[in-house]
Amino acid sequence: MTFGEWVKTITFYEILVGMKSTLKHLINYKPVTLQYPHEKRTLPDNYRGMLALLRYDDDTEKCVGCDLCAAACPSRVIKVISSEVPGEPTKRFAKEYSMDMTRCLFCGLCVEACPVDALAMTREYEWAVYDKRELLLNKQQLLAIGDRSFQVREKRLELQHPNVAFFNVSFKELPQKPS
Amino acid sequence: MPTHELILLKNMSTPGYTGSLADYERAGGYQALRKVLGKIAPADVTEMVKKSGLRGRGGAGFPTGVKWEFLPKDYQGPRYLCCNADESEPGTFKDRQLMERDPHQMLEGIVITCYAIGAEIGYIYIRGEFVLGAQILERALGEARAAGYLGTNILDTGFNLDVWVHRGAGAYICGEETALLESLEGKRGLPRVKPPFPATHGLYNKPTVVNNVETLANLPHILNRGPEWFASIGSPPRSTGTRIFCVSGHVKRPGNYEVPMGITFRELIFDHAGGMRSDKPLKAIIPGGASAAFFTDQHLEVKLDFESVAQAGSMLGSGGVTVMEEGTSMVWAALRLMEFFYHESCGKCTPCREGSSWLVQTLRRIMAKRGRHEDLDTLTELCKNIVGRTICAFGDAEVAPILSTLQYWRHEYEELIEAAEAAELITPEPALARH
Amino acid sequence: MADVAIETVTLTIDGVPVTALKGTLVIEAARQMGVMIPHFCYHPKLKPDANCRMCVVEIEKVPKLQTSCSTPVAEGMVVRTATTVVNEAHKSILEFILANHPLDCPVCDQGGRCDLQDFSHESTPTTSRFVEVKRIFQKEYFSPLIETEMNRCVQCLRCVRYCDEVMDVKALAPSGRGTMTEIKHFSIHELDCEFCGGCVQICPVGAITSRLSMYEFRPWMLKRADTICTYCGDGCQITIQTKENELIEVNSSHGAGRNNGDLCPRGFFGYHVSTHPDRLQHPLIRRNGALVQTTWEEALEFIAETCLSLKLAHGPTAFAGLIASRCTNEDLYVFQKFMRLVIGTNQLDSSARYGHINGVRALLRVQGTHRWTIAFEDIVSAHALLLVGTNITETNPITGLKVKEAVKKRGAVLVTVEALQPAIGTISNITNLAAHHVTAHPERFGDAVLGLIKGVVEEGLVDPSLTQRAPEYVKAISEAVRCLPWSAIEQATGSTSSALRAAARAFADAPRAVILVGQGVLRAPGGSGVTTTLLDLLLLTGHHGRPGCGLAPLAEENNDQGAVEMGTVAEFLPGPGDLTDQAVRERIAGLWKEELPQTPGRTLMEILDDARAGTVKVLFVVGENPVGTLPHAARAKEALERLELLVCQELFLTETAALADVVLPACSYAEKSGTFTNTEGHVQSVRQAIEPVGESRPDWEILSALSVLLGYPIEYREPREILKEIRSLISGYGLLGPAPIPPRPDAAVVEGYLKKGFAEDVTSRYSLSSSTDRQAGNLTLVVAQSLFHSGKLSTRAKGLLELQKAGALALNPADATLLGIAEGDQVRLSNARGQMTTSVQVRDRVPEGQAVFPEHFDQEVRRLLSVSPDPQTGAPYFKTTQVKVEKV
Repeated sequence: MTFGEWVKTITFYEILVGMKSTLKHLINYKPVTLQYPHEKRTLPDNYRGMLALLRYDDDTEKCVGCDLCAAACPSRVIKVISSEVPGEPTKRFAKEYSMDMTRCLFCGLCVEACPVDALAMTREYEWAVYDKRELLLNKQQLLAIGDRSFQVREKRLELQHPNVAFFNVSFKELPQKPS
Repeated sequence: MPTHELILLKNMSTPGYTGSLADYERAGGYQALRKVLGKIAPADVTEMVKKSGLRGRGGAGFPTGVKWEFLPKDYQGPRYLCCNADESEPGTFKDRQLMERDPHQMLEGIVITCYAIGAEIGYIYIRGEFVLGAQILERALGEARAAGYLGTNILDTGFNLDVWVHRGAGAYICGEETALLESLEGKRGLPRVKPPFPATHGLYNKPTVVNNVETLANLPHILNRGPEWFASIGSPPRSTGTRIFCVSGHVKRPGNYEVPMGITFRELIFDHAGGMRSDKPLKAIIPGGASAAFFTDQHLEVKLDFESVAQAGSMLGSGGVTVMEEGTSMVWAALRLMEFFYHESCGKCTPCREGSSWLVQTLRRIMAKRGRHEDLDTLTELCKNIVGRTICAFGDAEVAPILSTLQYWRHEYEELIEAAEAAELITPEPALARH
Repeated sequence: MADVAIETVTLTIDGVPVTALKGTLVIEAARQMGVMIPHFCYHPKLKPDANCRMCVVEIEKVPKLQTSCSTPVAEGMVVRTATTVVNEAHKSILEFILANHPLDCPVCDQGGRCDLQDFSHESTPTTSRFVEVKRIFQKEYFSPLIETEMNRCVQCLRCVRYCDEVMDVKALAPSGRGTMTEIKHFSIHELDCEFCGGCVQICPVGAITSRLSMYEFRPWMLKRADTICTYCGDGCQITIQTKENELIEVNSSHGAGRNNGDLCPRGFFGYHVSTHPDRLQHPLIRRNGALVQTTWEEALEFIAETCLSLKLAHGPTAFAGLIASRCTNEDLYVFQKFMRLVIGTNQLDSSARYGHINGVRALLRVQGTHRWTIAFEDIVSAHALLLVGTNITETNPITGLKVKEAVKKRGAVLVTVEALQPAIGTISNITNLAAHHVTAHPERFGDAVLGLIKGVVEEGLVDPSLTQRAPEYVKAISEAVRCLPWSAIEQATGSTSSALRAAARAFADAPRAVILVGQGVLRAPGGSGVTTTLLDLLLLTGHHGRPGCGLAPLAEENNDQGAVEMGTVAEFLPGPGDLTDQAVRERIAGLWKEELPQTPGRTLMEILDDARAGTVKVLFVVGENPVGTLPHAARAKEALERLELLVCQELFLTETAALADVVLPACSYAEKSGTFTNTEGHVQSVRQAIEPVGESRPDWEILSALSVLLGYPIEYREPREILKEIRSLISGYGLLGPAPIPPRPDAAVVEGYLKKGFAEDVTSRYSLSSSTDRQAGNLTLVVAQSLFHSGKLSTRAKGLLELQKAGALALNPADATLLGIAEGDQVRLSNARGQMTTSVQVRDRVPEGQAVFPEHFDQEVRRLLSVSPDPQTGAPYFKTTQVKVEKV
């Protein structure tokens, strides 16, 4: 054992090195723990939070009930039952739309799959519940989430792009059956 | 000021000629028929027509005699002749005059053809709008039947023939031979897929010859005066005989001019048609009906025969020569023709159906100063995608005006587009909202 | 066929040498070697139209690209399907199509199984150069079943061509020109056609879809089950598509089954029966006069106890059973085994008794077979076809398609003897295609057949070898027909003697000839006699026994043939073997290891008589509905009310089930597995598509459970085990090949028939039917089958109800004018037995003097009908009567 080593041993040099950060914080105290309910983190821009269904600016639902989100979902969260809008022939919509959020991975594949941008991920994340069944969300609940998260709404698709004028439109003004 | 002998238009240029049977016979009509029927074997008639070098006057310029020879020789059962009198090509009006003013000349040609090909029924498919022509033909047929030129045992030779006039219902496409046959059968006038060709599977799936009015009208003269005489006219060996050119547009004297093939455009336009109507110089020529590519003033020395025109990059087609003077917008001219083709596309095959609507919309947009530079490339590419991929020749026809105007007058397109960019009007107009 | 020399050519496709039959199209040759050339307008069933220009390929030495769907292969041809030029062409065509195609794949029912979608994903960029305005078609009407969305149309005209070439209906046509070409009905009104769904099936995109299942599914969610349709004897293979145990749609793929992918409205739109809300979900038992829900245990125990006590008291002859021919072969087999072994009686019958038995008995008598000696392929390749009383479009639509194919594509000569007349209508009319047609009175088909035989005899068309072989037979028949005066035949048939002779000549001169006999003959008085006479016609012209020739009685119910072969008719044991044949009895007893009951079989009408007389006290009814089928004159209700125990296994609470003491819920065809035997004798697999509705169980399981309780267990684990047992009885039964192997006529039986068998009724068969001239003002009411329904079952299918909701009396325009009736008027029908009111349809196809009413809505009509059983076969005849028609 050289002298240098002897000095290091008696002065607990290695321990001091190991405790460097700790000691630094002792002097220079700054808390890193967020006091969660009282303090909240800044979310990244592309944060993938609670899913929501959106509406157009005239309050009509965007969803056309195409089932592509259900097809894209890796964990079978989404269930869609689509049908024709009553009284508006050939227009398709989701008669029932439900998400089992207990299974959701928040991967966002459904949002990517949606052809009409009817699905979006909000920045909501405080969805801890006492009863799991509360996480089975129906269409109304999902629309409500969308309503409160996205105040700015798009124009109807056919008004945005002239060439999609024929996309899931209704023929209600046309005669039902000529005699 | 014709400096050559008129053949087809000779009778009708005689003052007082009414086109009746009596007039026609007085002018030497039905002599060829008497000469041929029962005296010359059908195969020899075909041989004579082949020797004369007569080529179809409808547009494609296929040798007539060769066409007849394609009929199966040993076929048992009926054969048909269809006379294509559905003259609908914009700028073409020769058949109409031939039928209205001298119907028997064509009828004689029909009888000779039927004799040559062994048909006992002939049909004249006449354009629906030619009401007068149809009436005149019906009357002429009546006269010919009464005089024994039609019916059973014609001129005591044992040859039977009846000819029927069928009026079209107003479709350009029915001038295409297979569409004509479909229409004649009572179906929708859509072109058939070839092969099989009409020569083997034509009307009602029987061997059929389809000939143009002018082609048929030439036959009595060929047989009367010999194929050698006919072959000496025009610019032999490939383009023989005379041809009626329908000169229209910005000339002093538009009209039908029968000239020997092989004269130049300059002669036709400036000598026969009297030159440009005003002092503006010539800008463009459509050499052969709406489906031919445009020519410029550089092409005035091109000879009016099948080969020369084809070599210069267009086609002699139906013989409708449209002349345009300086100041005419070539984009507009192309759009005008495209509108016609868009309206007349039958819709059977995809490239033509969808292509015509696309092209016409793009042209309309350019014309309305809402064009974009990339539109020109798109137009060219679309045209290339249509050519040669359609069932009939309509697809090739509809792109010819666009491609040729783009070739010679691209700057006119560009000017319109630059005007558009200056005005920042490049977005397409919104679709019809239906809510 | 064998008489055509097979020539092959060798060509190269994509560098691989291929040998193909001469005349094969390049696209087909490529498909055979596994190269799929993209296409829209090409379909193997249709003539090439080459309008989509998608299938272009490069062929060496040909300057332009060629459409592979219209180019036949040639020796030494070198084809390239995947060069840059070809791919560019595909891209350009797709670009053109997509220019106007709305990109609404997410809401399109075809999305996911769409040709355009697939090809686009393969070869086009995700953006389009098309910045113009898309074309939009105005929608003119909404069809209840067939949804057309013309904006999605690619104008391939497959639907139009299918409707014309295959179906011969010609309901669709392109209208408009160029890019505005739209497929629609000829004028602005609702689509009115056969509703075969062919256009829906053949559309490569989502332009024509089924409205019945619109937006209910996405193709990737569907589970498929290939099974057999139950709506007629044709035995079409259908694919039932289900989503989470829900019936979504039915289709049939090209090349599948005996129907080759073609369907009729019943097959395509009639599938909702299985999940109808009125389906019986639980066993019902009668308590205090009313049927109440109960458990399986209670229901079965009640039946067993009652049966055991009644059997003890009255013996097995107090028991009888009826089964519907809509059940599977397995159900039918277990049923007869149950009746014969567990109960110990031969008193059982099935709905094959209503008519099919007539055809089978005639075949057995003359040629010793119980089946057709031909298959559908022989119909297609026949040179002459004789249709007698078939109304084939409405009764057996797919057999009808085979006839149409033979006539339209192969130029066969069609001779029809029908109670129809040629007329243009919204549904195809087979007589329009006939070269020789005889409009027969519905009760006098026999007279027209005699006219044809007289024609054969007088024209000297009798087969000389037959004259040598059986001189007495030929002499007897020749003399018999010579005695019939032409004048009487002309009067009876309304056809001239020259027309009948010409028809006879056309039929006799054909190298291969087939006779199809339909319900019009089989269910009318003298049914078995006329069928025998038609076999005489085949014998006389020398066609009988020749390959590809034969007589084919058409079955009305899907398993009529199976019912006969499983021995569920009064006179047969499984096989079918004659119940009285000792050898057959011993063989079956040996296999069953049990003696067969000695009692004679009783037919349907006899069982009802016995019940009325009180000798039959217990009746098991499986799916059969005598009260709802037979006319009131048969007094079936009265008979069933006298029973001490009536057990019904049913899907719905039918008229018969409503009288039952116990009603057991049975499974429909969609919920069980098994086999059906179609009219040509082809045994085909029925596969389960959905779980049983409610507590319903397959019929064989119910019977099996009962047998355990009755102390004689006949148990099986699965239907396949039953089929195995059937095969031990009938060797090779149900070898599920692609096509049946038709039996050959038994030479010994034919010989016996020619020697003396014919003589027993030759005089009665060869005399004209006694003239039943109708009184002035009376019409002959014919209760006939409609294209849109089959029996009573289909009247619960919502799709079919859209097509035909209620019965209406179809009249000839001349009769209607005479009676002062217009379309839609209400009329009163009356005769001595009763009266009823209904509305009127005026139809050109109905011959003068007749009034046709659909049997599916015959609740009221049955009051007017009389019933008379056939003296030989016991088949009840009740389809025609005389009525007075008055406007209300």
